[in-house]
Amino acid sequence: MNSYSIAYATLFGLGCVLAGPSGAQEVKQDPWSPSREAKIAPVTQAQLDSADKNTANFLLTNGNYAQTRFHPARQINRDTVKNLHVAWIFQTDVKESMETSPIVVDGVMFVTTSFSHVYALDAKTGQQLWHYNHKMAPVTTFCCGPNNRGVQVLGDLVYLATLDSKLVALNAKTGDVVWKTDIADPELGYSETMAPTVVKDKVLIGTNGGEYGIRGFLRAYDAKTGKLVWNFDTIPEKSVGVWATKDATGRDMHRDIAAEKAQLAKSGDPYAKLGGGVWQNPAVDLATNRIYFVVGNPSPDLDGAVRPGDNLYTDSLVALDLDTGKYVCHFQYIAHDVWDLDAVSPAVLVNVRSKDGKSIPGVIHAGKTGHIYVHDRKDCSLIRFSEAMVPQENMWVLPTKEGARMLPGANGGVEWSPIATDPDQGLAYAINLHQPMHYRVENSAYPNGKLWLGGAFTAIADEKQSGNITAVNYDTGKIKWQVKTPEPMIGGILATAGGLVFTGEGNGKFAAYNSSTGKELWSFHAGAGVNAPPSSYMVGGKQYIVVGAGGNTQVNFRRGNNIVAFTLD
Amino acid sequence: MGGKPVWFIACGVVFVALSSANVRSALAETIAEKVEVCAGCHGQGGKPIDAMTPIIWGQQSGYIYIQLRDFKRGDRKSEVMQPIASSFEKQDMLAIAEYFSSKPWPDLGQPRSAKENAERALRAEHSVGCTGCHLDQFQGSGTVPRLAGQSREYLTKTIADFRTRTRGNNPGMSDLMLATPPDDLAALEDYLAGL
Ligand code: HEC
Ligand code: HEC
Repeated sequence: MNSYSIAYATLFGLGCVLAGPSGAQEVKQDPWSPSREAKIAPVTQAQLDSADKNTANFLLTNGNYAQTRFHPARQINRDTVKNLHVAWIFQTDVKESMETSPIVVDGVMFVTTSFSHVYALDAKTGQQLWHYNHKMAPVTTFCCGPNNRGVQVLGDLVYLATLDSKLVALNAKTGDVVWKTDIADPELGYSETMAPTVVKDKVLIGTNGGEYGIRGFLRAYDAKTGKLVWNFDTIPEKSVGVWATKDATGRDMHRDIAAEKAQLAKSGDPYAKLGGGVWQNPAVDLATNRIYFVVGNPSPDLDGAVRPGDNLYTDSLVALDLDTGKYVCHFQYIAHDVWDLDAVSPAVLVNVRSKDGKSIPGVIHAGKTGHIYVHDRKDCSLIRFSEAMVPQENMWVLPTKEGARMLPGANGGVEWSPIATDPDQGLAYAINLHQPMHYRVENSAYPNGKLWLGGAFTAIADEKQSGNITAVNYDTGKIKWQVKTPEPMIGGILATAGGLVFTGEGNGKFAAYNSSTGKELWSFHAGAGVNAPPSSYMVGGKQYIVVGAGGNTQVNFRRGNNIVAFTLD
Repeated sequence: MGGKPVWFIACGVVFVALSSANVRSALAETIAEKVEVCAGCHGQGGKPIDAMTPIIWGQQSGYIYIQLRDFKRGDRKSEVMQPIASSFEKQDMLAIAEYFSSKPWPDLGQPRSAKENAERALRAEHSVGCTGCHLDQFQGSGTVPRLAGQSREYLTKTIADFRTRTRGNNPGMSDLMLATPPDDLAALEDYLAGL
């Protein structure tokens, strides 16, 4: 090859790359902007362990290993919040659904966008320090949008799980790839949208794919090398369980146990294609070295005929030993789910009142059913469940060919949106959807990694949808306050020591509420849907609130590409 | 229609430049050969020769790959496409997919939906949540196809095939199409073609 043609090939080759089909979602930005270094000291395990007390940083997806989403800074409070204003807005290159939880380390912020981009920003100015543009494999199979919910930092590495099911460690200073590992095969329906949880040199990661007949898992990878340390199949080989006929709240689920048993005799245990994705971060109990997480729906979503049994551990809270990945305990909310009313919002560790009134280590989860479930951390058993936060009607009517109406709709209640808690007030804050739906069933065989829904749920066009923000006392199960919103809510919420909660809506509104009463104290309109969990941090002596405004694919809220940070005048 | 086509012409030049300088990339050559036959139906410039043949220029590469794979496996039946795809190995399919996905999507000049139809289509979209998978403006991504501007007659045919499961390579899509009333689907087909 002569050097002349090499030069041409390179030149034109570059042209081809530039002209490649920039998806409709890709917008602007100057591709040649020089990258700067993110000047941060390595993040230590000790820092992560005490993240709940760290006012300067936001180190984990849900604030701390207990996942309380309670930030201890109080500069922005019920008195000062009226002076909150925009500090900066950063525009990413991707105008699609934004579900990122901004992570902040020593004045550097890490955010992600749809299609697994990562940005390091100066948390004070919003200036870009570096941008990791993941080269996506052609085959991605995902549900509910090409989302990404964020990264975590340990040492000098930033950990990211990508839509094409890879685990990537980036140099925190430069954004360069340090190692990369294949998690699972996207052609079989696996994808990643969750943020990893990194603890004790392990990167914990689940998988999506419950709409594609995968076999779900939660895994630990070595944080230094990317080698697999342990794997926990969320679907055990004996997935049949105890033939439970009632849900966690004691309501009959109308199972035809005789038909299921006949099917089991015919086709055997359905564990291999039974779904059971893990959408959100596990909570880590540092005292007992256990992790707690929830497992999603069985495959296919709406057709139970092909999957006899309780379909363990779908729709369940599960606890494992952190070092070994060995099973500790579980609690199943809905056995043999045929409504996709699964468990997705991350588990939270707080102390709760036991049935006899003692304060004990508890774990809580907000369900798509609209209940907040309160468990004993020792054995996963259910202590109580809250009043329903959304209307429930016709539960549990079985899906039909023509469509059966039931409330809540299949998105919830509480979707993947993390809740926040204020342990001093004993309150959990959840955002809810209200979407009346028809549930339909169809029957088809496992389609080799293709969409396997077993029917469809469709929103009823002439019934009004809405949403709400609800504060629940988890020691009594009673609703303390509720704020109604005009549209269903999806994204997340943050509570602060300033006595506030912050959350956003699909219409672009982002607001602060008094965390004891629900009174609205401040609001802002972002232009695009604010459907991401907010974070808080301090830099240069000032407290900031930051949130993504990129809309939402699943509920089709107006897309944008903004990261908006607020501070006090 | 800004600078893009110019760059695509430049892309074409690479092949010419490379081969004339006798630096054949074996892959580039075989792919160029392999895709020659496609133009006979899917069009020389990306506009298919008839309305029942789908646009594949500018389609998502993951989707093109999966369709070729499914034709070969027999998961998607087509008297025309099955014999063509059956001669390809996975690497060919990926390369062909990449080749077509980097071409510009052609404008078939199909009319925009009338207001009433568009409203009906959007109501149906809202009920089923098509854009939850097909993404904003029905542009697709990965293994989910772009629908915006696809041939109207082809859309009608393939949606009907999903409903009867004649197109059996994605039961999830069949379920969704069965859950959508036929009148709404007709509105959607009209609307999507006009995007
Ligand atoms: C003889 C005509 C003909 C030729 C030649 C042909 N195709 Fe096709 N192709 C069709 C028709 C017709 C369909 C629609 C089949 C259906 O309705 O299911 C189709 C469908 C497809 C699809 C699915 C598109 C979609 O939107 O689902 C892909 C991908 C495809 N062809 C790729 C190719 C490639 C690559 C080649 C060349 C290697 C090729 N075709 C050659 C006629 C042809
Ligand atoms: C849950 C995700 C999902 C939803 C919701 C969805 N689709 Fe699809 N759709 C897909 C996937 C994945 C494919 C690719 C099918 C395959 O693998 O062959 C597809 C394929 C199609 C095709 C075939 C395109 C072609 O080139 O052959 C049409 C048409 C289509 N969808 C229309 C719709 C419409 C209209 C709606 C809403 C009423 C809808 N889809 C909702 C995931 C979805």
